[in-house]
Amino acid sequence: MSSTIAADTIEVMEQQDTGPRSAGRSLNAEEKRDIDREFSHYEDRGSVALEALRVVQKHRGWISDDTLYAIADYLGVSPTQLESIATCYQLIFRQPVGEEVILLCKSSSCWIMGCEKLQRHLEQQLGIRPGQTTPDGLFTLLETPCLGDCDKAPVMLVGEEMHRHLSADKLDEFIQEKKKHHADQSAD
Amino acid sequence: MPTITIDGRQYEVEEGQNLLASCLSQGLNLPYFCWHPAMGSVGACRQCAIIEYKDSDDEQGKLVMGCMTQVRDGGIYSLAAQPAQEFRGAVIEDLMTNHPHDCPVCEEGGECHLQDMTEMSGHTYRRFRGLKRTHRNQYLGPFINHEMNRCIACYRCVRFYRDYAGGDDLEALGRNNQVYFGRQCDGKLENGFSGNLVEVCPTGVFTDQTFSRHFVRKWDLQTAPSVCEHCGVGCNTAPGARMDFSSRDENLRRVVNLYNRDINGYFICDRGRFGYEYANSDLRIKNVLIARREQVIETTGRRKDKLHREIEPPAALELLASAIVDAQRGRRRLVGVGSPRTSLENNFALRQLVGPGNFFAGLGARDLELLHTLDRIQRDPRISIPTMPDIEDADAILVLDEEIGRTAPRVALAVRQAARNQQRDHARELKIPLWQDASVRQLRGENTPIFVLGSSASTSLEDIAREQRLASPAAIASFAGRLAELITAANGPTTGDEAGSGRTPLPEDLEKLLRGVADTLLSARRPLVISGCGSGEPDILAAAGKLATALADKQGSPCATYLACPEANSLGLAQFFEPGEGTLEQLLEDLRERDSVDPPVTLLVLENDLYRRLPTAAVEALFDRAAEVVLFDSLLQPCSRRADLVFPAAATPESQGTLVNSAGMLQRHYMVYEGSGYIQESWRWLVDAVNDPACREAGIDTSPALLRQWQHCHEVTAAIAAALPCFRNLTEAGPDENFRIEGMKLARQSHRVSGRTANRAHLHVAEQAPLTDPDSPFTFTMEGVQYAGASPLQANIWSPGWNSNQAIHKFQQGVGGPRRGREPIPRLQREPAPMPAWLAREKLVQEPGQMYLAPTWQLFGSGELSNYSEAIAGLTDAPCAQLSAADAGALGVAPGARLQLRLPGGEITLPASVSDHIAPGVIAVPVGLREAPDLAALLPAAAEIARIENPEPVEPGESV
Repeated sequence: MSSTIAADTIEVMEQQDTGPRSAGRSLNAEEKRDIDREFSHYEDRGSVALEALRVVQKHRGWISDDTLYAIADYLGVSPTQLESIATCYQLIFRQPVGEEVILLCKSSSCWIMGCEKLQRHLEQQLGIRPGQTTPDGLFTLLETPCLGDCDKAPVMLVGEEMHRHLSADKLDEFIQEKKKHHADQSAD
Repeated sequence: MPTITIDGRQYEVEEGQNLLASCLSQGLNLPYFCWHPAMGSVGACRQCAIIEYKDSDDEQGKLVMGCMTQVRDGGIYSLAAQPAQEFRGAVIEDLMTNHPHDCPVCEEGGECHLQDMTEMSGHTYRRFRGLKRTHRNQYLGPFINHEMNRCIACYRCVRFYRDYAGGDDLEALGRNNQVYFGRQCDGKLENGFSGNLVEVCPTGVFTDQTFSRHFVRKWDLQTAPSVCEHCGVGCNTAPGARMDFSSRDENLRRVVNLYNRDINGYFICDRGRFGYEYANSDLRIKNVLIARREQVIETTGRRKDKLHREIEPPAALELLASAIVDAQRGRRRLVGVGSPRTSLENNFALRQLVGPGNFFAGLGARDLELLHTLDRIQRDPRISIPTMPDIEDADAILVLDEEIGRTAPRVALAVRQAARNQQRDHARELKIPLWQDASVRQLRGENTPIFVLGSSASTSLEDIAREQRLASPAAIASFAGRLAELITAANGPTTGDEAGSGRTPLPEDLEKLLRGVADTLLSARRPLVISGCGSGEPDILAAAGKLATALADKQGSPCATYLACPEANSLGLAQFFEPGEGTLEQLLEDLRERDSVDPPVTLLVLENDLYRRLPTAAVEALFDRAAEVVLFDSLLQPCSRRADLVFPAAATPESQGTLVNSAGMLQRHYMVYEGSGYIQESWRWLVDAVNDPACREAGIDTSPALLRQWQHCHEVTAAIAAALPCFRNLTEAGPDENFRIEGMKLARQSHRVSGRTANRAHLHVAEQAPLTDPDSPFTFTMEGVQYAGASPLQANIWSPGWNSNQAIHKFQQGVGGPRRGREPIPRLQREPAPMPAWLAREKLVQEPGQMYLAPTWQLFGSGELSNYSEAIAGLTDAPCAQLSAADAGALGVAPGARLQLRLPGGEITLPASVSDHIAPGVIAVPVGLREAPDLAALLPAAAEIARIENPEPVEPGESV
C-alpha cells in the first residue's frame, strides 16, 4: 500500500507504538477475550474477522502488519483474506493514525453548508491534508461520506462524539481542548 | 428447447441457460468480462447489457444484464438496439478511464479480451483526459508478472484463484476506484494453478513471466495441438514456437491450455504450463555425440564417465547399423530399454528393432508392478474410468494414499469442484440456476463427503476434505479392504489374506471412521474412488480396486475409479509387457547370467534417466555389463555420462506420437516446431540406422526389417495397431498426413504471421522453401486452413473479433460443451477380465524400531523433465526426511538433525524436518529431485535409523 504519510510522521507514530498500545506479534489476553466474546454471534471463526479487527484496533489504535498476522493466525484465516477485509473498510486503519481521528463529512448537505471552507480551516490549523497525521501524533484528518446528521450540517465525527453545526470557531475550540487534554494526560 | 428471438431472428437455445451464454453459443457477439464459462455469472462488469421486450407490442423494452437473465421461451431480445449499444459503450468507456495506453508494450496485446471487447463495443475514441490511478505491482514468484494499472476490476482472477482453485493468497484489496488484486505482501502465489490467471485475466494484469523472457505476439506463434508430458493426466496444450533471431533456431515460447472438455477443460496446472522450458534448456542435445577415447581424469569426473565429441550423423548411424548387422549374425546382442515419458511410436520402434524378448520397460520391478496392478483393475468390467466432468459430478469421494494435488493436479482441481455438489443440489431445489455463481456459493450446506487417507497430509485437499486421516500405507490398505468387506457383507465372508483384508489392525480413529465412510459410499449415487501409483504400494491399489468392485457389485453398475499413473505414457508402456516381465532388475539379472557366454551387448536406452529407476549401484552395474551404450534423449541427463553414442531426440512439442494417459485415452501430440540441429524423433534414428548402407548391404530380415517400411509417423502407428490388440484403434487418435480440407492441410501459423521473408535473409536473399511435414495434417507455414471451426485439431484459437483465448466458445457445441467436430477420445482396447484376488504382501515394517519410508511426490521438483525448466528448478526443495512430532520426540530427533537411514537398498543420510502432516511411524521423503534421483527407486522401504546426528547445542547468547 502506498503511503500518503510523510516518513517523519510515521517515525513519530511507530515510536508511540512502543508505549502502552504496543503492537506485538501476538494478541494479548484482553484482546483475545474481547474477540472470543464475538464468536458466539457468528458461524465460524473466520466470520469474526471484521469484529476482531475492530476490537484489536480499539486496543492498539491501528492495525500494523504484525497485528494483522496475529489476528489472522488467531482466526485461522490467511493474512491475504484478512487484508482484503481490512482494506475494504475505511475505518480499519492500516497506517498509524493520531490519537484523535477527525472524520469530516463531505456529503451534499455539509457541502451546501460550507464544509469545504471548514476543511481548509482545519488543514491550516493542523498543517495536514486529508489522510495525514500531525507530527505530534494527535490529529488525523479524514474525509467521510454522509454521517447521517444532515439537519445539523456541517458535521464531523471524532471517536464516538459527533460535532454538529460546525464553524471555524468551534473547530479552533475543539483543537485547543484536545491539545490540552492530551497535554494533561502525558503530564500525569 | 426454448425458442427466443434476438433482433428479429429466432434461435433454439438450451433451457435454463443465461442469455449471454445463449447468445455466444449461437455465434452472436456480445461483449462480457466477468462471466467465464467455467465460473458462471456474477453480474459485476455490466458489459453484457441487452434489451428484453415484454412482448411483440413492447417497443421500449428494458435493459437487462445478459449473464444474469435466464432465457425465457418466446422471449424477445435485442443486442443491436441503440440503448443497449450505448449502455455497453458507456460501460467500457468508464472501465477504460483507468486503463493505460500501453498496448504496444503490453504482452496481452494481440490476444487481449479487453481490446476485443472495446473494439466490439465501438469505443474507439478516448474522451477521458484526467489522471489515471496507479498502483505499485507485486512480486508474485517466478511464473507470473503483475501489472495492476491495467486492471479493470472484473474480479475474474479472485473468482478463479480463490473460488475455483482454492487459493488463499490472492484477494481483492482496497475498495472503490482503488481495488487492488494481489497478495498481502510480495511473494510467490502458492496455488498450483496460478498460471491460469494469465488466461483468465481479460487483460494484461497477470502475464506469463517465462514467456516475457522470449516474448512474441500470439499471431507470430506457430502452434499445433500437443499433450502435456509432465504427468499422467494428459491435459491438452497448445505450445507456441517461433524462430529465435539470435540463435536462428526455432524455440518454444510458451504453453497454454487447449480446451478438451473430457480432460482439462479450460485449465492446466503450473507444472504443465511452466515446465516447457526444458525444451530450450542449455542441456539440450542437438548433435550426435560419440564418446572420446581419452580417459577422464578422476578429479574432474566420476570413474567410467565418458567425454563426448560431436560426430556427423552418417558416421554415427553407420556405427549403430554395424551393431544391428552384428546382431543379425549373432555376434552381438541388442537390448532396448523403453521409456514411460515418450510416445508409443518410439517405444514400439525400439521394441521392433531389438525384438520383444530383448525389450525392457525401463522401469524398476515395483514401478512396473504398480502399473500392471493398475491395469488389471482398469480391465475389470466393474470399473469405469471417469472423465473430468464425471469427477466433478461425484457425490462421494474416497482418496487412498495418493496426493493427487501433486501427482495428477488437474484431477485435484476437478475434485475441488465436486466438493460443492451438495451446494449445487440445494440450489437446484431452490430453482437457482447453477450459473448464478455468487448466489449458489452463498448457500449453506456441507461439502460433498470427501475422505482423504494418506501417509502424509494432502495439502491440496485438506480444506475441502470432510475427514482427512494420516495413517501408514498398510493401515490404509487394510482400511480399504475392511471397507470393501463391510460393503459386500451380505455376500458372505471373504478369505482372510487378500490384499487389504485387514491383516494390519486399524488405528482407533480409522476404525471409528469405517462405518461412516461405508454408509456414505453406499448411499452415494456417483461414488468415486481415487488412488494411484504415488504411494509405491501395490497393496494400496489392490485394496482400492477391491473396494471399487465391491461398490460396483452393490450398486449394480460400474464404479468410477481414477487411478493416477506417474508419467505421460506409463500406462501405454506397460501394455508392451506381461505382468512380471520386462523390468530393469530382470535385465540386470539376465546380463549377469549370460555375461560369459553371450555375445557383447549393445544397450539402447530410450529417453529415460535410469538413475531415477534403480539404485545407483544397479544402474552402474547395468552399464558395466553392456559393451556399448547408445542413448536417445533430448537432454544431457546423467545416463549420457556412460553412453558411447548419444542421438538427439525430439522433445514432445518437437515430435508426433501417441501417449496413453492414466484413463487409458490414446492421445496424439503433433510436432509444433522442428527441433534445431539434428534433433528428430527417436524412432527416426532407428529407421535411419536400419536404412544405412551398412545394413542394406548386409541384408537384414526378421523384425528390424519392418522398420524399413516406415517413412511417416502414421506407418509406425499402423504397425503398432496391427501388432498389439490393445492398440487396435490407435489410428483413430488423429488423422494422418493425408488429411485435407478442400485440398488443404491445417496451418500451424496464423494468417498474420510476420517476418517470413526475413527469417533467413542473412543466409540468402531468396526465401527458403518451407519445411514439408511427412507426418501430420499440418503445414509449417500460414498456408492452409487457419480457422479453428474447420477442424478440432486447429490449436490456434482465433475468430474474427475474438483474438484472445475466449474465442473458444465459437468452436464448442454449446458453452462448455465438447469442441465441435471432435470425436470421442479413443481408449485402450484391453481384454476385460475380473480383477484377481491379490494376496496381501508381507508388511514392510516388521521389526519394532523400524520406520516406514514413504515417497512424496512434489508438484515442482519431482517431474523428470520439468526439473530442467528454469522457473520450476528455482522452486524445488532440497531432499529431507519429514517425520511427525511424536516420532521425532520418541527418537530424540532435534530440529536441524541429520538422519542416517539404513534401507534394504543402501544407506542414505537426510536432514530431518518435523511436520504435523506426517503419519506416525512414517518418514516422508520427497522423491524425484534432481539432487537425489535414486530416492524414487529406493522408496518405499522399511528403514532402520542407523544414526541421528543432532546439531551441537548452542549456548545461549552465542551467535549461530
